[in-house]
Amino acid sequence: MGDKSTPLLAVLQLLRKYNLKGTEEILRKEASLGDVEYENLDLPEVEIASILTAHHTESDPYSYEFAYDSLKKFVENSLDIYKHELSTLLYPVFVHMYLLLILYDHNEHAAAFLEKFAPEQEDYYQEDLKKLAIVKHKDQIKGHELAEIYSTNKFIVQMSRDASSQLKRYLHDQKNSTVIINIINNHVQIDIHDGPGRTLAQVRATAGGLLGEAPKTENRTKVYYGLLKEPDIQVLPAPIEDEEEVEETPDKPKKKKAKKDNIFMKKPKSDPNAPPNDRIPLPELKEADKLEKGKALREASKRVALGPDTLPSICFYTLLNSGHTAISADICDDSTLLAVGFNNSTIKVWTLTPVRLRGMKSADKLQDIDREAGDVLVRMMEEKDRETCRTLYGHSGPVYKVCFDPFKTLLLSCSEDSTVRLWSLQCWTCLVVYRGHVWPVWDVRWSPHGHYFVTSGHDRTARLWATDHHQPLRIFAGHLSDVDCVQFHPNSNYVATGSSDRTLRLWDCSTGTQVRLMTGHKSTIFTVAFSMCGRWLASGGAAGELMVWDIATGSPAAILPPSHTAPIHALAFSRDGTILSSGSLDCNIKLWDFTAITDEATGEEPGSSNGLKEDKFLLRSFPTKNSPIKCLHFTRRNLLLAVGTYEGSS
Amino acid sequence: MSDSEFAYGSSLSLDSMKVIAESVGIGNLGDDAAKEIADDVSYRLKVIVQDAMKFMHHSKRQKLSITDIDHALNMKNIEAQYGFIQPDSLPFRFASGGGRELHFVEEKEIDLSEILSAPPPKVPLGVSVRAHWLSVDGVQPTVPENPPPLCKEAQKLESVDPVSKLSKPSNEDAAGKPMCGKAARLKASESVHVKQLATHELSVEQQLYYKEITETCVGSDEIRRVEALQSLACDPGLHEMLPRMCTFISEGVKVNVVQNNLALLIYLMRMVKALLDNQSLYLEKYLHELIPAVSTCIVSRQLCLRPEMDNHWALRDFAARLMAQICKTFNTSTNNLQTRVTRLFAKALQCPSQTNNETGVGPSMASMKESEKTPLASLYGAVQGLAELGPEVIKVFILPRVRWLGERVEGALSGIGGADRLAAGNLKQQLLKVLAPVVRQLRQPPDVPDEYKRDYGYLGPSLQQMVSKLRSSPAGGAGGGAAVAVVTCTPPLVPAPAPPASPAHLSKPVETIATRNVVIASPAPHSPAPATPPPQKFVIVASQQKAQPSQSSSGTGHIVVHSSQPAIVRSQNVQSVVVTSGPAAGAPTQKVVVVGMPPQAPASQSGPVSQAPVSVVAKPVFARGGPQPPQPPPELDDLSHLA
Repeated sequence: MGDKSTPLLAVLQLLRKYNLKGTEEILRKEASLGDVEYENLDLPEVEIASILTAHHTESDPYSYEFAYDSLKKFVENSLDIYKHELSTLLYPVFVHMYLLLILYDHNEHAAAFLEKFAPEQEDYYQEDLKKLAIVKHKDQIKGHELAEIYSTNKFIVQMSRDASSQLKRYLHDQKNSTVIINIINNHVQIDIHDGPGRTLAQVRATAGGLLGEAPKTENRTKVYYGLLKEPDIQVLPAPIEDEEEVEETPDKPKKKKAKKDNIFMKKPKSDPNAPPNDRIPLPELKEADKLEKGKALREASKRVALGPDTLPSICFYTLLNSGHTAISADICDDSTLLAVGFNNSTIKVWTLTPVRLRGMKSADKLQDIDREAGDVLVRMMEEKDRETCRTLYGHSGPVYKVCFDPFKTLLLSCSEDSTVRLWSLQCWTCLVVYRGHVWPVWDVRWSPHGHYFVTSGHDRTARLWATDHHQPLRIFAGHLSDVDCVQFHPNSNYVATGSSDRTLRLWDCSTGTQVRLMTGHKSTIFTVAFSMCGRWLASGGAAGELMVWDIATGSPAAILPPSHTAPIHALAFSRDGTILSSGSLDCNIKLWDFTAITDEATGEEPGSSNGLKEDKFLLRSFPTKNSPIKCLHFTRRNLLLAVGTYEGSS
Repeated sequence: MSDSEFAYGSSLSLDSMKVIAESVGIGNLGDDAAKEIADDVSYRLKVIVQDAMKFMHHSKRQKLSITDIDHALNMKNIEAQYGFIQPDSLPFRFASGGGRELHFVEEKEIDLSEILSAPPPKVPLGVSVRAHWLSVDGVQPTVPENPPPLCKEAQKLESVDPVSKLSKPSNEDAAGKPMCGKAARLKASESVHVKQLATHELSVEQQLYYKEITETCVGSDEIRRVEALQSLACDPGLHEMLPRMCTFISEGVKVNVVQNNLALLIYLMRMVKALLDNQSLYLEKYLHELIPAVSTCIVSRQLCLRPEMDNHWALRDFAARLMAQICKTFNTSTNNLQTRVTRLFAKALQCPSQTNNETGVGPSMASMKESEKTPLASLYGAVQGLAELGPEVIKVFILPRVRWLGERVEGALSGIGGADRLAAGNLKQQLLKVLAPVVRQLRQPPDVPDEYKRDYGYLGPSLQQMVSKLRSSPAGGAGGGAAVAVVTCTPPLVPAPAPPASPAHLSKPVETIATRNVVIASPAPHSPAPATPPPQKFVIVASQQKAQPSQSSSGTGHIVVHSSQPAIVRSQNVQSVVVTSGPAAGAPTQKVVVVGMPPQAPASQSGPVSQAPVSVVAKPVFARGGPQPPQPPPELDDLSHLA
């Protein structure tokens, strides 16, 4: 059905055939068809019939119900090996039938059709169906977010070759009803894979995306998920040595090496999966940053090794009197500062150690300072400041995320007012306002190496920025709905995004392309986290579901048993990568045995693990006293810090 | 999700549209137009709410708020709705009339000048950060900042249905104790699920805690005791130690009553108070140990070495208050706690003639003598215990016996024993204090001393003075003690909201049970100054029939008061309790509950901790320290000589 004039032409030809001149004239005038087209009225008789019947059935409301019923029966009666794959076809067909009924003005029939078949769709589609159900009129389809997505994109269904040939045979038999064929031709993309049909568990593992499963072709690109070689290890000896006195110089490198090996035991010398260090330009480390790195390494050497038998201690920071006003929280990498974003557009920063929050001296005082002095950084701070909490004003809407930079001199925040702000933790003022997003910005994250950061928002894009540019460097577009969370890969080369379209995507920072599309989540994804080794991605959803993905293949590595009952908004990996912690609005912190999860994922085929085995992944669950968890953070020594707001005793 | 709750389509009704149209001045909106508008408005509203949900989720909330709607409107370039910021949900009102039903939001006119002149509202508290350990090496410490390991509901469930604990031991295991080391390996290797017995094993830390707490609570250091009691009153997660604690208290009371160790008894009662105050504990399972201990401290004949010197009255008062608190908290229709406790005290106040009748053996004079030996201190305790249960109880159980009590007081005051005199004085004072407010409500204003004398015997004149003093004082309940008696009025055993019926009708059901001692409680028919009428309560307690004389002579039914040794109240053996409810005249809305309880074995429980109280008694350190039970009279400070 290429253009809309074809049916008209067919009608004209029909009129001419029966010699109805008057009607013909009127129709021609009304449709304003040119003579050229009028002359080409030489459609074969069969085609006229097919066009007219097609038009007839499409507008016949009763045929839809019948056709859907027949498709359902075909799926049910097919062999078990095809059944589960074929059943994924039902939902898109159902949705488009509903939309077609609305389009042809059969509003009552559409409602009845929905009433009858909607409850038997998969449970993870119910939320979408509720959204779609509010479309009750032809005019509403255009303006409606979901209906537009469905009508402008193709729903992707994965099928084995055998199953698809079964389907073809069935469709061939359905001569009298072209509805399903038309829908499948126009709105469904069948992705055929070789090999046997998949089981129910396998299908369920990847089903659930707004537009079906991710096609296999999407995930073929190689992803360098390995970690970068740490360039700053060479400059480390200085800070390490001023802690302990070293008498002999020849001894020095040996000692350093031993320490280094201790910490990075697992990391091979040259990771084949690691990207080259110059794949994206990384900022040169400043002197102060090197000091900070050195400190981090020293701390890391004192780290407690965690495992199922040695669980971490959890220190819980409760925000009192915050009610529902505190929205987001972040703890800086060395665990000395806590930032909280509030509903009322403010940001508060607390110090968690006895060190006070000092501001910088005024300009004329700064002039007096000797810039060559070794402790210039200390000297430029005001000694008199004794604050333990500072408030940052600037946003004009709720602050949805705050984020400390790796060297704890800067803070990023994003807000409902569609801006991202960069704050200095030395002057305690706003430095830059980044405008670019059109609608509220949901999430912002720093690159682990600083300098870059990534944001995501309601405008369905994620954007990569550098602090010294006021325009985004890359815009990652492709998600079909809000991009709710972002996360930088530990090697800074990739960005992962999670969205309301229930997909996770991985983007390459250097090319700006999408390199992974991962489906399988059954609800909106609110938080993602990369494992320490860079290979695994954990994501938490609105229904409290938690999944682990293998970036190497783009397939789900583990679907953790549902144990949270409310949206998960915080995920954190222990520094040695053995424990995954999840915090949810149901006031629970859960610890998962990540080593066991990855062992199993690498050991066997994903998606086939059964529920009984997964029980052992959950190590412990810690309920809080009516305090939903907003943030989780592992200190360098593997102490788990959690932030929550106390919501009263009721 | 079932089909019924699957609401794919709901929309605003035509009526709503018409009403709204009327409110903006469009008189007659056609049905078609209304339908078009209703459909469109529903669609738009739903889209806005769906968008608002996104803001709710990103604010990490689970409840949609008005600001979310505002942000969603903002996103669509629509101006936000102002003036809807409200701390609680909108107060919808309902109205109907002319066949139309209407829900609306009531908007009151606000007087601006009033708001401007009013003092500014209090500034909300600033947000602050507080840190605590949620887990230490994988174990959740039981501090007040953490949720209790076993919530009160679960404890309650466990006390009602102990099997429930056995059915899911693994669950609790995951919540409370660490799953590491040997235990975890054992758990992993064990393929057969062996049903765990409900053992009450205490960990080493808990044993240490128990030892420390119990020693401190009865030790000599008052500051540390206050800390220990604070810990008992606040710490969640004591429930595992609760059986031990209760046994400790119960045994401690038993031993110290014999030794007349007043100070220790006070300490033990303070422990009971702390346990009662703990929000995370559910004590019902242990009441069989606590109640006898507490009642012993109320009515025991002798609680201290030198009754003429030591202030054991404060202990009785304190324990009585505890008992009232226990009754208030744990009384249910199945355990009839308050009835049983009331009975217990009422028996102690039994008039000699009644006691005589009940025992039914020997000449009346002999039993009279026997009963007259009920020590004054016990009488005092019983009066206090009843008084704490509320004015209704006072009226029913103390007032009828005031004449006899007066005789006892008169006899003792004229007697020679110094201790007796002191006791009689205290009892008299207590009786006056307790009775005055009740009498004041009962009698009409002209207080004639002679009438009082006639009605109440020896105590009449003093009572009259007290009552007239009360009447003259403003607002009625100015007298401290009297006010307390009214305030501590417990929730009515059987609520009777309707106006009082005549006693004659009420007595009917009771008579069917054929008892002798029928006490009928009816609310004051004519209260002269019903400023705050006390909750009405009908408590009809029938003592057991005369056909069981052996029962009462064996002494299990009421408090045992032997002249030779201090009284120890075991469990109350209540044979029958009759409670009638319903004030409606003659209406047979009554409930008969018969509760039988076997007498408890007097032997102390065997176990490692049962020795603890004994060792405590042997400890002769009560040097000094000014123990302060919540409301002790100043004399208690003078306890050093007790050692």
